Formats: sequence, C-alpha cells, structure tokens
Amino acid sequence: MQTTENDPEPLPEAPPLEVRRTQEERLLKAWETPKGWRYWSAVNNSEVGLWYTVASFCFFLYGGVLALLMRIQLAVPENTFLTANQYNQIFTMHGSVMMFLFAVPIFEAFSILVLPQMLGARDLPFPRLSAYGFWSFIIGGVFVCGSIFFDAAPRGGWFMYPPLTSSYQSDVGADIWLLGLTFIEIASIAAAIELIVGVLKCRPPGMRINLIPLYSWYILVVAGMILFAFPPLIAGDILLEMERAFHWPFFDPARGGDPVLWQHLFWIFGHPEVYIIFLPSVALMAMIVPTFARTPIVGYSWVVLSAVGTGFLSFGLWVHHMFTTGLPGVSLGIFSAASQAVAIPTGVQIFCFLATLVAGRVVKSACLLFVFAGLATFIIGGLTGVMVAVAPFDFQAHDTYFIVGHLHYVLIGGTIFPIMAGFYYFFPMVRGKKLSERIGTIVFWLVFIGFNVGFFPMHISGMMGMPRRVFTYPAGMGFDTLNMISTIGAFILAGGLLLFFFDVVRPRKNEPYSERNPWNAGTLEWLAEIPDKPWGARSIPEIDSRYPLWDQPNFVRDVDEGRFYLPDAKEVLRETIVTSVIDARPIQCLRVAGPTFITVWAAIFTGGFFILATYHWWTSAVISGLLAIVMLLRWAWTTAPIPEKDSKDVGLGMTLPIYVSGPNAVGWWAMFITMTADLTAFMSLVFGYFFYWTVHKDFPPEQHQGPGVFWPVLSLVLFAASYGLTLLSHRWNREDNAKMFYGGIIGAAVLSLGGTAAIIAGPWTTNLDPTSHVYPAIVWVLAGWMALHGIGGLIMQLYCLARRAARRMTAKYDADIVNVCLYWHFLALTVFITVGVIAGFPFLA
Amino acid sequence: MNRVHSVLRRWSTRWLFPIVALMLGGCAGPQSALDPAGQGAEDIARIFWIMVIGATIIWITVIGLAIYALRLKPGPHHRRRSGVWIIGGGVIAPTVILTGLVIYSLAFLPQLLARPPEGSLQIKVEGLQWWWRVTYLENGEPDFELANEIHLPVGEPVEFLLSSPDVIHSFWIPALGGKVDMIPGRETRLTLMPTRTGTFRGVCAEYCGASHALMNFTVVVEEPEDYQQWLAEQRSPARQPAEELTILGRELFVSSGCGACHSVRGTDANGRIAPDLTHVGSRHKLGADVLPNDRASFERWIRHTDDVKPDVLMPEYHSLDAAELTALAAYLESLD
Amino acid sequence: MSRISDPEYMQPTEEQDRFWILFASPTIWAIHLLACYITAAIWCAKFGETESAFTTVRIAFAVYTVVALAAIGWLGWIGYQQQRRVTDKTPHDDDTPLDRHRFLGFATLLLSGLSAIATIYVALVAVFIGSCD
Repeated sequence: MQTTENDPEPLPEAPPLEVRRTQEERLLKAWETPKGWRYWSAVNNSEVGLWYTVASFCFFLYGGVLALLMRIQLAVPENTFLTANQYNQIFTMHGSVMMFLFAVPIFEAFSILVLPQMLGARDLPFPRLSAYGFWSFIIGGVFVCGSIFFDAAPRGGWFMYPPLTSSYQSDVGADIWLLGLTFIEIASIAAAIELIVGVLKCRPPGMRINLIPLYSWYILVVAGMILFAFPPLIAGDILLEMERAFHWPFFDPARGGDPVLWQHLFWIFGHPEVYIIFLPSVALMAMIVPTFARTPIVGYSWVVLSAVGTGFLSFGLWVHHMFTTGLPGVSLGIFSAASQAVAIPTGVQIFCFLATLVAGRVVKSACLLFVFAGLATFIIGGLTGVMVAVAPFDFQAHDTYFIVGHLHYVLIGGTIFPIMAGFYYFFPMVRGKKLSERIGTIVFWLVFIGFNVGFFPMHISGMMGMPRRVFTYPAGMGFDTLNMISTIGAFILAGGLLLFFFDVVRPRKNEPYSERNPWNAGTLEWLAEIPDKPWGARSIPEIDSRYPLWDQPNFVRDVDEGRFYLPDAKEVLRETIVTSVIDARPIQCLRVAGPTFITVWAAIFTGGFFILATYHWWTSAVISGLLAIVMLLRWAWTTAPIPEKDSKDVGLGMTLPIYVSGPNAVGWWAMFITMTADLTAFMSLVFGYFFYWTVHKDFPPEQHQGPGVFWPVLSLVLFAASYGLTLLSHRWNREDNAKMFYGGIIGAAVLSLGGTAAIIAGPWTTNLDPTSHVYPAIVWVLAGWMALHGIGGLIMQLYCLARRAARRMTAKYDADIVNVCLYWHFLALTVFITVGVIAGFPFLA
Repeated sequence: MNRVHSVLRRWSTRWLFPIVALMLGGCAGPQSALDPAGQGAEDIARIFWIMVIGATIIWITVIGLAIYALRLKPGPHHRRRSGVWIIGGGVIAPTVILTGLVIYSLAFLPQLLARPPEGSLQIKVEGLQWWWRVTYLENGEPDFELANEIHLPVGEPVEFLLSSPDVIHSFWIPALGGKVDMIPGRETRLTLMPTRTGTFRGVCAEYCGASHALMNFTVVVEEPEDYQQWLAEQRSPARQPAEELTILGRELFVSSGCGACHSVRGTDANGRIAPDLTHVGSRHKLGADVLPNDRASFERWIRHTDDVKPDVLMPEYHSLDAAELTALAAYLESLD
Repeated sequence: MSRISDPEYMQPTEEQDRFWILFASPTIWAIHLLACYITAAIWCAKFGETESAFTTVRIAFAVYTVVALAAIGWLGWIGYQQQRRVTDKTPHDDDTPLDRHRFLGFATLLLSGLSAIATIYVALVAVFIGSCD
C-alpha cells in the first residue's frame, strides 16, 4: 500500500485515560438516543435506518401473503377461492407493495443504516430529512396497504394503465394508488438526496474517489437514478389524478388525450426502477464477496464502470415494455438494441465477483450460499431478459407468465437473495449477534428449491400461452400441472422465508455477543463496537486504503483511543466532518440535528394532504397541506444556526469552519439535487405537451386559442426582474447593505407575486377550458406548475427577509440566500421554458 | 443475412424442432406459442429455441466457473490472472454474443412487421370489455359482423385492423404469431399467416378490468373451400325459428328488449352495444370462449351473467321463469 | 524523465480532476439515443406516408452517430492519456493523487468504451430497418 507522505497520521500516543473518559461521556451525551415515548423523536441514522428496515420488511411479508393468496387461487383451473375483483386487487397490491413499499425502501433503509458507518461518519448530513422520509413512508404505506381490508384497494395493476384507471374505475382505489404512492415517491426522493450528499460530502478524510467502498458507488448511482426516474412518474400521477378528479382529458382520446403518454411516463420510471432495485443488491454482493474471499475486489474500476454504465443504460430501455403497442419498427429496434447493450455491464460485474472469488481463499458461510443462490438465479433472469429484449420474441412473450417468471428471477434472484445475504452479513453489526448458520443452511435450501420450483414452470406456462394477470384459467390448456407445481414451490419458498423470519426475530437473550468484526472484513462499518455505541466511530479516521481494517496497522486501536479526528464533543453537539468531493479533504465540521418531533408532524400533515385529497375533501386537504408547509418552514427555521465561533479544532492539528455556504455546503448540494429532480418532473410535463403535438395532426388545435402572448410574456418579464433582484439582494446582503437588501428582496417578492398572477391570467383571460380538450389542459398544467414554483420562490424570498430580520442570516452567514438564489436559477429556467412553450411554440407549430 | 436465415430455418426444421418436440411433448395445445400454426409463430419459436440453447450453455458455463471458484480450485489464483476472467467473460464474450444477437434480431424485425400484399384478407377486430367484435372487410368496407370467433383460410396472409372503444386490450393468437395492443384512439395492425388447419384459441393479453381472464376467442383455420362455405353462411341473415319453442323464444327475445343491445340480422334486433347474435348457435363457445355452446349454457348466461363474467355490462334476467328461459335459450341455440 | 520530478505531474491536484468526466460519455450515448428516437418518432408520425421520410431518418442517424462517436472517442482518448500517466500498469488502488487521477482516467476510458458499443447498437437499427412500418 502506497500513500502520500503528507497524509496526516494518527496521534502517536493515545490521550490519557482520564481525558478519554470525559470525551466518551460527552460524545455519549451528544448522541444519546431519547428514552420512553420520546424515543420516536430520534433522527439518528441507526434508529431511523432500523425502523425503516423493519417497516419495509413488514411490507415485504404483507406482499408475500398476497402472493400466496394468488398462488392458491391459481393452483387449480377455474378456482373460486377468490373473486375476480379480489384477485385483481391482490395482484395490483402485490406488485405495488413489492416495488414501492419494499424493494426501493429497503435499499434506502439499509443504506441509511450502514452508509454512515461505512464512511466513518457520525450520521448522514440531514438526519431530520431521513426521519421525515421514514414517517411519510410509514403513513403512506399503511394507508395504501390498509385499503384492501375495506375492499377498496386499487385494481388497475401496478402499472395503472388508463383509460381503465381513468374512466372505467370510479371507486377510490386508483386515487389511493396515485396519491398514496406519490407521497411515498416523495419520501424516496428525500432519501435519495440524503444518500447522494452522504456519499459525495460526508466521507472520512483521505477517502479519495478511488478508495470509496463499492457499496457507496452503487448507492451514488442508484440515488442519482431515483432523481431522474421518479419525477416522470410523479408527473404522470399528477396528470392521471387531474383526469380522475377534475376530468382534464390527458388520457381520453375522445378529447385529444392519449393513453400511450401514460405508458411512456410510467416506463421511463418503471424500467430504471428495476435497476434501482437490483443495483443495491449487487452492491451488497460487492461488499460480501471480498470479505469471504479474504481478498480485495478484483477489478474495482470495472465494477465502477458497470455501476455507472448500468445506471445510464437503464434509462434507454423503457420502450421495451411497449413493444406490442404498435410503434414503428425503428423505435422497437432502437430500444431492442439498447436493451441488449445493458447486459454487457451486468456481465462485467458478475465476472468481477467470480474473479475475486477465484483470486481469494474462500471461507464458507450461509452468507455466501445466498450470494451463490442470487448469482445462479439472477443469471437466468438476465438471460431471459436478453431474450425478451429481442423484439420479435417479445411479441409472443410480452404479458405472459414467461415475463412473470423472468421478472421474479431478476427480482428474487437479483434482489431478495442478496438482501438475505446482507441480513446474515450485517445482522451482527446491528444486533450484536449472528444469525444461525445452521438454520441459514436450511433456509437456503428451502428458498432456493422453493423458488425454482415455483417460478421456473412459469416460463413454460407463459410460452404455452398463459397470459398474466388472469384470475383463473380453463382446464385443458396444459396449464394445470404447471400451475400446481408453481403453487407448491411458492409455499416451499414461503416456508423458507418464514424460517428466516423466525431466525431474525427469535429472542437472543442468552446468546453471547458476537466478537467485533465477526467476518474479519476490511471496510469501515466493521469498526462498530458490539454492542453498538450511538456515536458511530469513536474518532473519525484518516483513510489510506479501500480496506483500512486490513491494510492500516493498528487501525481499530487508533480509532478507539480517539487518536483521529473529532474524538470529543466539547459543546455536546452532534458533529461530523464534511469533505470535498474528489479527494475527501476536510472542509467543514458539520453540526447535525438531534431528536425532534417536528419531522413526525411534518409527515403527518403532508400525509394528511394526500390522504384527504384521495377522498376529495378539498378544504381539509388544503388546510393539512398549509400546516405541512408551516411545519417545514419551522423546521427550516432551526437549520444552519449561526455558530458561537467561526471554526473549531477537530484534532490532529486541523481547524475547520463550522458554518459554510455555497457549493461547499451540504445544504447547497441538497437544494441542487432537489431542483434537479424537480426540473425532471417539469420536463416530463413538457414532454407531454410535445407528445400531444406529435400524435395530433393539428396541435394546438385551431378551435382552441392558446394563452396568448401578452400575459405569459409579462410574467416572464416580472419573473426575470424578480430573479435579478434576488441575485442583487444576495450581493447587498454580502456587502451588509441592509437597506438595499430589504428593499431588493421586498421588491423581488412583489414581482414574484405579479409574475405568478400574470402566468395564471394567461389561460384565465383567454377562457381556456381544461376539460374541453387536452390542449388547454396541458397548458393549464404547465402554467400551474410554474405558478406553484413562483409561490415557492416568493415564500423563499420572504423567508430570507425574515431570517435577516431575526439575525439568523448575516452578511457572513448567508447560506439561506445562497440556496434561495440556487432555487431561483432553476425557477428562471422553468419560467423561460414554460413561457417559451405555451406562448411561443404555437407560432412554430 | 437471408442466406444465414434460410440455413437456420432448414437446420431448425430438420433437427431442432423434432428434438425439442420430443423433449417437451407437453407443449402442444390450442393456445401454445411452442406449437406454431402460423408463419410468425414458427419464426419466433425458432428464435426462442436458439436463444434457449444459447442461454443454457452460457448459464452452465458461468455456474461452472462459480462452482470452480467457490469449491474446486486448488488454491488462490494470481490476482492479475483472475483479471483475465473479467476481460474474457465479462467483456469479450458478452459483447460478441450480444452483437450477433442484435444483428440477427434487427434483421428479422422488418419481415414480422411487413404489411401483407395488396388485396389480402382484412379483418377488423375491436376489443371491448370483455369480448371481441369481429368485422370481415371486403375492399375495406364492412362485409359482415360476428363476435368472439374468427375463421381463416390456411396459407393466406391476413391483416387485422385492431382498435378499442373502451380500455386497452391486446389481441393475441399464440399459435399464429405475436400480439398487438388495441389502444383507444388508435388503430394498430397485425399480419398473420396461418400454415396449418386446426382450431386455436386467442386471448386478451393486456389487463383490461375485472373479467380480463374471461376475454378469449376461437380461431378456426380451415381449407379455402370450407372457409368459403363458412363465409357464405355468415353473410346470410339469421335462420327463422320453426318450432313452437324457438318461436316463443324469439318473442321473448323481442319482448325482453334483447335487441336494444344485440343484433340478429334479418330481424328488428339491431343493437350495437353487445355481440352480434345472428349465427351465435354456430359458434364454438359462448361468452367469449367461456362456456360451451349448448342450451344449458345460454340459460346460465342469461340468468347468472355476473357469476359467469364478473362486472359484465349485461344485466341478469331474473324476470324470466324456467320455461321462458328454456325457450329463449332454444331460440338462440337455433341461430346457427 | 524530468516529468517524474515534477510534483504537479506526479501529484495532480483535486482541482485538476473533473468528476463529471466519468458521466460525459454515457450522457452522450443518452443524447444520441434520444435524438435518434425523437427524430424517428416525429418523422414517422408527421411524414410517415412519404417515401423519402425514412431516408431523412437514416441520414440523421448517420450524422448523430458520427458526432456521438467522435465525442465519445475524444473522451476515451482523454481517459486513456490520463490513466497511463507515469506508468502503464493498472490498477490504481493506492492513496495518492496520481492513483486517483489515473483511476478517473481509466473509468472514463471504460465508460467511453461501453458508450461506444451501445451507440453503435442503436445506430445499427438504421442499417436493418428501412421504413416507418
């Protein structure tokens, strides 16, 4: 191992025992988990991550029970165990729950739990955001799952194709799906922001970009994918819910709408979603394989290549879910080719694991059994995936049980088995005790056999013509035996999972604690003491290797004795180190938030908005929404407090600023990432506008006049002026020119209000009726989106005003207005595009 | 490309299909994509088997390597040497195989999507919740209409014009070829070319609501002369009832208002909402291939419609007594 | 060998490296894919009936592909140069600025390779498909 000479070294001698005691006491006090009912106010990653994991695992069990009900129904032909409507609710819920409430959340949960440990950080940069995400998730999840007990569950399939879901299912089920899951998607995006900033900015000093654990690379890629994948679905949800609630005809062909637009928006989300689920499981394998091969990963750069490459390519595949919609051959060809290209990076990472195994000295364990199960089954799923990427074959296979078999090989093989391996691997770190190897071997055989018996025959029944999503099938088509075998296999699989579940939850009072770093792994998360301490790492180490526990001599001792950074919490505040993106140079000592209930309230009111809107109780929904905004503002109000001193000694002779603004600050990154997601949703709506243009001979249609030019252009001018004034106010604030600042920001706020009113005045004064045709509807949606963002910009301007007046923002401590300016850059772009499209494009067309 | 293709075709008909048929004799069936009876289905089945064999070889190789790495290898390999695995197995092999597959599948696509020659048989099919309106076209104009059953002459290409007035459906006859969705507001096309006679089953492949599973149809591929005879029968108006029972049945048909939704050509019944019943008695199955075509099934359908097909639009007729039900069923059965 | 004694050459600073360069090649692939798809979709929807429509599409595909491959090749070349600074030996696993610099170069090179293959796959479509059907 080679390092640069001027890297800081740990203290040559440990601080005296007395000093260490006091340090530890202060650290413990700062990071103490609240007790009693206040426990639920915790925001620390170890608590929130654990709740999150347990909750998503419960949803997994719920989804699994639904699957068994379906298998009972399909065990024999013409079964009457379930009615058609029950079955349709169940298969819809099974898909939705597994995708939205289990697969994506469990990766976020796991990552919230272990990522800070892996990066030697005390916590993630925005603990309250994780907590808010968790509470939103649990509220939304219970709401969506509960509906089935009232026979009111969605029954449009997890893909929710209109017009079935827009005009032919008038019950509340589809609304529950749209609003409940949009709410959860927002929570997922929140977690993604947290994880991206965590990987980029909260690494331990010295952990250069070529040294970060592969898990973090995958998380970075996956969280990035969420930013671009979820917003199109949110945009689709908005359009579909607008059609359901207010009859805006986005998907109604009689009034110019087109159901195919939904399919595009859904699958632009839906295909990356598969990789969003799959890649974190590969990430787990990338941690587990080197540990049990007792050797560093072979081909680190190649794994990074496949993580990043797969992340990108997965966005070019969405149309392969639409191969049978009658698209021109050239479109089919493009997406067929791209779908096959994605198999290359997938192959690379599998061979990296094999190469590592062959280069190492393999230690047997239950963990590795599940990795093997994952590989053996996922490769089948991958190969059938390449098969269905061949468009002609997909003409037959599409929407049959062949696909059901394929996708379960991908998702159970590629995801569930690695997650189970992950449970075996990380369980000692979280609970201090190992899962049973003996039970683990039995579980392995049960799930491996059960899974293959259950799902392999589905390929055959699909090829024999059995379509998906059928609540029953006739005898004599050759499906009978195959389905019975599938059902038997499903129950064996369920038995294995039940045994696994038992092993996870069984009381372990009498078992001794496992030793520290029980698998003899090399990465930082295994610094965790057993039983665990709330502070994460006793001191934050300087990193010189990908596997510091293997390579850096006396590493654990040095960390434990506080010979590295931040061994103390002098002010009894929660602190962690923020570093630079590429070389992880320390740049800030970040103080993160402690326990609070505000996140719970914010989640309750946000949830209230969505849930009440489901039942069209608009007044109470709006009140709840306003309360949510109040809570969020109250929460924001306490962020980035002005510190009692500028900088702080973090140990090893390093002094770091406590308050940072601009691109070095985590808050700036969070704003940037949030707005990237926001812009993606907006661009999806713009895509909708141009989609309608391509499918219509005349668009905008002649009988519908547009929003005119005057009001939109006026709005553009007002917003441009407001934007300029906001930027100037930023400068005046920095120059400490209070008078100009207040004048500027008030002026900017007035202009924002005017701009917002003007963009609404456009379609309003020209009497565009959004229920009459899709053209006025999409114009209204774009104008409405811009207006809402204008109001957001206005609130932020007033917020800066209030912060300065309350002396929470000064010339020097100006993160608020810097972040608001960043928001305004994006808003300016939104305004420019909106006005260009709704007022300008009709001239071009 | 065409040379490769014809070699593959010859090779597969001579060797591949017989072996595979032996292996999976159970794959035959009226709805099986692996028991092809049409040009498209045959071509796709060939691609399928080639890919299955390729995939099996790849899987065995990779898993063999995994087992070697996990259990069999005598000792750790050199790290650089094991890096060769990544280049060979992870990069070169997949790239070569996939490039071949991309080229093969792209070259194959145009012929599957090609329009049939001018003047070929055209049939318009509408998918509705949960049945199929089938209209035979003559020079682009409607010739006659029926429901849930399609007859085709063997060896002639046929173009289906597909649409839907309600939700998205998907038109699929596995034995003849691939599926194409029926999307409200659009018209999609599918060309099929049956190669052998027989009775096959078509299904709706896109989830379309409560009774999606009960939306099927019968496809009869027959010799041209049989087909011509069938056409002639279908074109003719409905048979007049001759027996007392069937005459009573027709009166009930009229008095119960069946004609508001159903058509029976040659009578006043000209409803357009529900399946045309002109020759319902001649069809293989009832209720979109759900019930056998007999008197008891007609009775069950009229009395317990929602049990047979959940959420269907047609109301259940409880006002008819047992004798009336029998008469009505007898009338419908007589419409062959 | 004077370069070896040059500390700036041996230890490129953080500011000299660009993180985003990793993502540049796949982004070009994505733009190429979208450009091809959108061009084909619009042309076939708006002018699908005319014979010459598909020729336009083919020319567009060719132009896009040449531009995209040139850009990807250029990025790959940058990555290649970067990864062989000082030595040709891979890997770059150590804790030095040079290793980090070479790692970023190598990853850029690999991603350029993958993006190039994927771009060619998409371009192949115009070779084999010749109409808007």
